[in-house]
Amino acid sequence: MAFVATNDLSQIQAVKLDESIITLRGVSKQFRDEYAVRDVTFEVPKGSIFGFIGPSGSGKTTTVRLITGIYLPSEGEVKVMGRNPLEFSQTMRENIGYMPQLFVLYPNLTVWENLNFAASIYGMGFFRGKRLRKVLDFVELTEHRDKITRDTSGGMQRRLSLAATLVHDPDLIFLDEPTAGIDPVLRRKFWDHFKELQKQGNTLFITTQYVNEATFCDWVGVMANGKLLVVDTPDGLRHRAFGGEVVNLQTSAPLDYRAEQELYDLQFVRGQITRTGPASYHIVVDEASTAMPALMEWTKEKDITIEAIEEFLPPFDDVFVELIKDETNAP
Amino acid sequence: MLRNISRSIIRASAFLRKEVFEILRQPRLVFTLVLGPFLILLIFGIGYRNEAPALRTIFVVEQPDSQLAQQIEEYASSLGPQLVYMGVTPNSEEAIEKLRRGEVDLVAVAPSDAYNTIRSNQQAVFTLFHREIDPFQIDYVNYFGQAYVDEVNRRVLRSITEQGQSETSTLQDDLREARESASALNNALRNNDNGSANQHQASLNQNIDSVSLAVGASLGVLSGVQQTLGGSSNNSDAEQVLAALANIQQSNDELNQTNDNQTRIERVSQIEQELTTLENSLQEFQNIDPQVLVSPFRSETKTIAAIQPTPPSYFAPAVIALLLQHLAVTFAALSIVRERTVGTMELFRVSPLSAAETLFGKYISYMIFGGIIAAVLTLLLVFVLKYPMLGDWNNFAIVVTVVLFTSLGIGFVISILSQTDSQAVQYTMIILLTSVFFSGFLMRLESLWEPVRVVSWMLPTTYGSILLRDITLRGEGINIVLLGGLLAIGLVMCLLAWLMLRRLISKARR
Repeated sequence: MAFVATNDLSQIQAVKLDESIITLRGVSKQFRDEYAVRDVTFEVPKGSIFGFIGPSGSGKTTTVRLITGIYLPSEGEVKVMGRNPLEFSQTMRENIGYMPQLFVLYPNLTVWENLNFAASIYGMGFFRGKRLRKVLDFVELTEHRDKITRDTSGGMQRRLSLAATLVHDPDLIFLDEPTAGIDPVLRRKFWDHFKELQKQGNTLFITTQYVNEATFCDWVGVMANGKLLVVDTPDGLRHRAFGGEVVNLQTSAPLDYRAEQELYDLQFVRGQITRTGPASYHIVVDEASTAMPALMEWTKEKDITIEAIEEFLPPFDDVFVELIKDETNAP
Repeated sequence: MLRNISRSIIRASAFLRKEVFEILRQPRLVFTLVLGPFLILLIFGIGYRNEAPALRTIFVVEQPDSQLAQQIEEYASSLGPQLVYMGVTPNSEEAIEKLRRGEVDLVAVAPSDAYNTIRSNQQAVFTLFHREIDPFQIDYVNYFGQAYVDEVNRRVLRSITEQGQSETSTLQDDLREARESASALNNALRNNDNGSANQHQASLNQNIDSVSLAVGASLGVLSGVQQTLGGSSNNSDAEQVLAALANIQQSNDELNQTNDNQTRIERVSQIEQELTTLENSLQEFQNIDPQVLVSPFRSETKTIAAIQPTPPSYFAPAVIALLLQHLAVTFAALSIVRERTVGTMELFRVSPLSAAETLFGKYISYMIFGGIIAAVLTLLLVFVLKYPMLGDWNNFAIVVTVVLFTSLGIGFVISILSQTDSQAVQYTMIILLTSVFFSGFLMRLESLWEPVRVVSWMLPTTYGSILLRDITLRGEGINIVLLGGLLAIGLVMCLLAWLMLRRLISKARR
């Protein structure tokens, strides 16, 4: 697998991957005079979890609809499993699972009947009860199976939608904000299951507004204002957001001005040092693993006592804000 | 191949279960669909009275105490319960005011000087005032006025005929005298009493002239009736009488011209026989009831249909057809538009579900549902309300199935064309209204201008009503042409719905 990136975030839109299952090249979608998605290019490797992150209205759902063939691109080319989505055969469609952003099942049917309906439209055999029970169990709706869906909570409906998407065990799964309205514990369980599905060889394309969920993905695409800002691994995104990795340094006493200036001059420091406490600092470095021994050496030379030193993984909220900020500031 | 077929069946079956469950989740709807039409027909059957509305009528006659006023009351009472006699008044304005206030339904103003109007070769006019705005009721008032005037005319004619017949009785006296003169002449001739013979012959000549005159006058009515009715020209009563009279006159002329005694005896005997014939013919005419002469015809209707259904039982098959059409069109019309508004269409676009599978599943589920509704409703009507079912149940089931199939096709096309639920409901209501007015449900198809009947023949209710009536009320089989027409519409609609839905599911939004 080869990854191509540049330091200029506004130009980073493409990743080259081996065995990509989804390919978008210069894809735009225009509604009347307005672009919902503009010039998007990326590939999704087979067997990966591809997270699509962005604020509401950034073009995530439009992109999913372009990939699934619900929308025809105004410009560009979409290939899924090597074919234009409009040319999918029924057998290919049987291998795709799609969970729309909104609940689209039938409110007058019970949870079980809705799931059974979803299984039927994917052509699952009549002896599918065991599979249905298993999926229902996974989304923790077993005890609610006979409830009329309109009487269930929004969270339950999301879980039912997810169950309906996974019931036929598809190879390629599109989940448009599957964890919206789900409590954190179940949300974590969902991601564990997504990881499990990935291990089994499935490919998942997941959009989310929970930026921190990017950490569960193999690849993350960041969308804003209809543009794909960047596609990278979670670590890569952090790197891009802060210009390197971050080391958290806690000393026994605050560094004086001269020491701080010297820190900036160190070769592995990328320039940004943030004081996060009276004697604690976030230092952006090229690579944390090589920077930390060098930092310890430097403090020893300067007779500075280290209380703690560790790599700091900034929360993705911060990463996201940084990335968006850069995009906003771009000329 | 087999795998594909079995998966297609599974996908279509998704809708079968889903639609049935969704409908069963609305028991009130099902209850209303079955019980509603049943109750409507039950109450209609109890409440319907097959009678023309009674019109409260006040008569305006210049002289309320006159004979005309008495006759008007008598005429009015003979018209039956459709005319409620509300009295006679000389004041037309007062009568019109009563009409305005709704105290009477009709004001009949008698002609003021009928005799002189008729003498001046004009018809005397009865003027009827009403305040109806319902075109059907206005037609009825016009018809009623015509019936009233016909009754008056008939009574006048009857009176004239009675007079004519009474004049015929004086003719009988002339005939009797002529026969007596002929008999006396015959005796005188046989006794060679020439003096008496000449005297009796002179009397006979006079009598025959009188008979000729009287027959000419009295025969007018009979001759007129026969001419109007187109009786046989050789054997008509009037012509027989005239022929007998001509023979008498010819025999009498010959009698007057000969002096041969034997010949005169033969002629007189002949005259006697012919006078008897004439008398018998006139007697027959006199015996005819004036009512029969004035109204020589009356109608008796006899049907070759198996039964004479009551109005409610006549309407029942049309109600079933209309209900099934409305039910099927409504369910189908809301079906696909709801998939769009709920959002499931988005799911279908990504799934392997095809338009044909979607339609097939929906067709089957709604046909099963509609069939159950039709069966329950029909059984209630036949076994509870005892409405007739003379035909074959299989034929009934075939017609119901095709009505449902065609109606569903129309509903699906509406549904695909509609963007919202309310739009679909509006289209459905238009179809319902069109069916009420154009399907022969309210009025016969023949009441419509022929080109407009094209609309009628596009509606399943039109075919369903006729076919179900033929089966249930006539006990006939299926009219293949009508069933074929209905099925053809259904197939066209099915094809159209499939093409449109295929486009909707497969075509990405541009």
